[in-house]
Amino acid sequence: METSATVLESDRSRRGSNSAEPIVEMRGISKAFGGAPALEDVSIAIKPGQILALCGANGAGKSTLVRILAGVETADRGSIRVAGEEVSISSPAVATELGLSFIHQELNLVPKFTALQNMALQYPGSRRAGIFLDRRATRRRATEVMERLGGHVPLGEQVDRLSVADRWLVSLGRSLMRDARMIAMDEPTASFSDDEAGRLFEIIEDLRSSGVGILYISHRLDEVLAVSHEVAVLRDGKLVANLHTENLQRGELTQEIVGREFEEGFRPPTKSKSDQPAVLTLRGLTSESGVRGVDLDIRGGEILGVAGLVGAGRTELARLIFGLDSPTAGTMELQGREYRPKSPYDAIRRGVALLPEERRSQALLLTDSVARNIRLATLKKDRVAPFGLVSPRRARAAAAEMVRRLSIRTASLDQPVAALSGGNQQKVVASRCILTEPTVLILDEPTVGVDVGARMELHTIIRELADAGSAVVMISSDFDEFAFCERVALMREGQVVEVLDGVHATKERLTTLCYATPDEEHPHD
Amino acid sequence: MTDTTAVRSVPPQRVTSVAHVDAWRFVGRYGALIVLAVLIVTVALLEPTTFPTQRNAINILNQSALAALIAMGLTFPLVAGEFDLSIGYTGSFCGVVAAWLMVHSGASIPIAILAALAIGAVVGMINGLIVTKLGVNALVATLGVGTMVIGVNFSVSEGLPVTVQGDTAPAFVNLTLGEFLGLPYPVYVMLAVAAVLWLLLNRTVVGQSIQAVGGNAIAAQLSGIRVDRIRIFVFAIAGVCAALAGVLLASRTGSATTNGADGYLLGAFSAAFFGSAVMRDGQFHIIGTLVGVITVAVGFNAIALIGLSTYWQYLFQGGLLILGVGVGTLARKRST
Repeated sequence: METSATVLESDRSRRGSNSAEPIVEMRGISKAFGGAPALEDVSIAIKPGQILALCGANGAGKSTLVRILAGVETADRGSIRVAGEEVSISSPAVATELGLSFIHQELNLVPKFTALQNMALQYPGSRRAGIFLDRRATRRRATEVMERLGGHVPLGEQVDRLSVADRWLVSLGRSLMRDARMIAMDEPTASFSDDEAGRLFEIIEDLRSSGVGILYISHRLDEVLAVSHEVAVLRDGKLVANLHTENLQRGELTQEIVGREFEEGFRPPTKSKSDQPAVLTLRGLTSESGVRGVDLDIRGGEILGVAGLVGAGRTELARLIFGLDSPTAGTMELQGREYRPKSPYDAIRRGVALLPEERRSQALLLTDSVARNIRLATLKKDRVAPFGLVSPRRARAAAAEMVRRLSIRTASLDQPVAALSGGNQQKVVASRCILTEPTVLILDEPTVGVDVGARMELHTIIRELADAGSAVVMISSDFDEFAFCERVALMREGQVVEVLDGVHATKERLTTLCYATPDEEHPHD
Repeated sequence: MTDTTAVRSVPPQRVTSVAHVDAWRFVGRYGALIVLAVLIVTVALLEPTTFPTQRNAINILNQSALAALIAMGLTFPLVAGEFDLSIGYTGSFCGVVAAWLMVHSGASIPIAILAALAIGAVVGMINGLIVTKLGVNALVATLGVGTMVIGVNFSVSEGLPVTVQGDTAPAFVNLTLGEFLGLPYPVYVMLAVAAVLWLLLNRTVVGQSIQAVGGNAIAAQLSGIRVDRIRIFVFAIAGVCAALAGVLLASRTGSATTNGADGYLLGAFSAAFFGSAVMRDGQFHIIGTLVGVITVAVGFNAIALIGLSTYWQYLFQGGLLILGVGVGTLARKRST
């Protein structure tokens, strides 16, 4: 059988893994999105029987790199070799064909299928004469695989009745149905208990020793140091370090992830707004979605940054303030009055606006015109007497005014918004928010996928809004962006763990705080 | 126009492909109208004495009226990204209700019509509530509600036609047979409803919200639009329009049958889908639906005048739908 051959070969080369030919080698990979570079000349190699960890802050380029390897994105430049042969991974099917497996954070399992059915998906051995499912062969193979993984996940159980850890094992099992040469795992332990994580590490060790190469992507640095042989660190799309894990200190690794470059264009806030009264007060705000006891005062005229890793509860907090979810405990007060929005409609009427995280799926009517997209939240303002009918002329005039004010580059007001660049699309959404004349404006990742020029323009717009008296809350995973915030709140695991003054909220400090464990929170203070 | 502006900004060396794109764009926008024009010219040449006459034109419009009412009502759920399979049954039921009220409780014509329209609205709202509050897919919800409406209808009518008798009968029949300035009343009703619905969809906050919900329901919700209300509203509009068509259908013969308007369902869907290829890039709109209904009516009229068998009607209607939507879709692909 093919498996045993792979096992033998890798057993031989295991100890001297440095000299072994890499299973996967990515060389000089570059990729840009809309002019903004996401990866620049990145090279990594995964050797048989070796665990390579991939680390980096949010937006450092980890997921882009993995997506290129998985055939979901194509690199602009660079080459990929699998087992020494140059390949072009044009689709996920090609990656599977090459023996590359990916276990993404969202596991891509069919919830109503059993573990066995999920594992049988795309398994070539399950077909007899091309079309008929060969159930017996599939079950035999699945049982083998599951035994290797500890053998306790019931194959006949529907996946949505399994625990998160077991689901993860099913996903891993699916990738082992074929002979995988390399398995990439994205934040595998994110929702595991310590016990479950411990079991996972045993499985990983077993896979590794049988010669599989493993790419281990995680924010949890202790785990990275415990399981991996080498760590590749990405920062701002560049490979900044390739370290041997042996003797590596946690502090060194953090330092590499954070970086220490001097921040150009740092704009300190004009003046402190600490004398301003709070416009929005949050007390003990808690939700099922993962916000845990957040206390926060948001002041008029200030930009409050919200920093944290993906999954720290930042978007969930925004959803609570905007009436999309209801808190299970805690209170909100807006301009001195109780604030309990039941829907975005309530929120907007009380003067709260949200620029959502996902521009295309949550904010834009892609095939509709620029004008309609700008007016979407303020349709009522287009009504004219005597019958209260909407006046297209008035709508266009208001839209034209915003296009001018925010210098939105579009061929015309009737241009479908899909034809605009990312930055200009985001300005359209910003216009929509501004037109509601918000008291509190929440921006969730306002400059993702926006080029440098438009990004500066957006920052200027946000600053102007704050100067005009609005309270602005800006969520961002790009910690450089907080340079112009008066204050920055740092969230970790659903809590606001620290609120820093803007001048102290350097990328370095914020990233260190993100990775800090609760007991090392105030080591220097 | 926008499109020309966009096209002009393309560098001059690509002139040939621009002309090519322009041609496809033209076909995409006006292809369905061209089909109607070609149809009219062809039949006018084939049947010069009977087809291109004022009387026949009025006849075609009159034939279109009831189908147009149902189809324009259906356009609202379609614009909002929903479906409604209950409209035919709702129309039949509301016709029966109006006739039953006149026969059994001596209701006057206006009261009977208002009651029928109200019931149409209620059926629509039930559809909307099931879709929004229970989260049932619109196809399933409206199929279920529609089937239950048939049941209620049979319990009211006992499966027999409800015939309006006595003094109200001539006035009731006159609703559809009467004429004003040479045009039958249903044509006026069709035009008036078309005007009202057009204004509602294009010149009111509700109408803009409906279009936004159809475009991207999440974006609409995050922009403060109450999406559930909008969804319930579109089903109510479809129900009211179906009810009006049902009542007028009953008035044609002075008698409401249990399944009279059922057959309008498929015609309404084909008209609306054909209409989505009229002057728009695949979006549903009132004028397009109206053009769709009239195109089908012209075709049916021609088939009758030329003396072809009835089965040609089905071949024509099905073929027209695929031609209209297919050409539009293909043209849009080529022009981008």
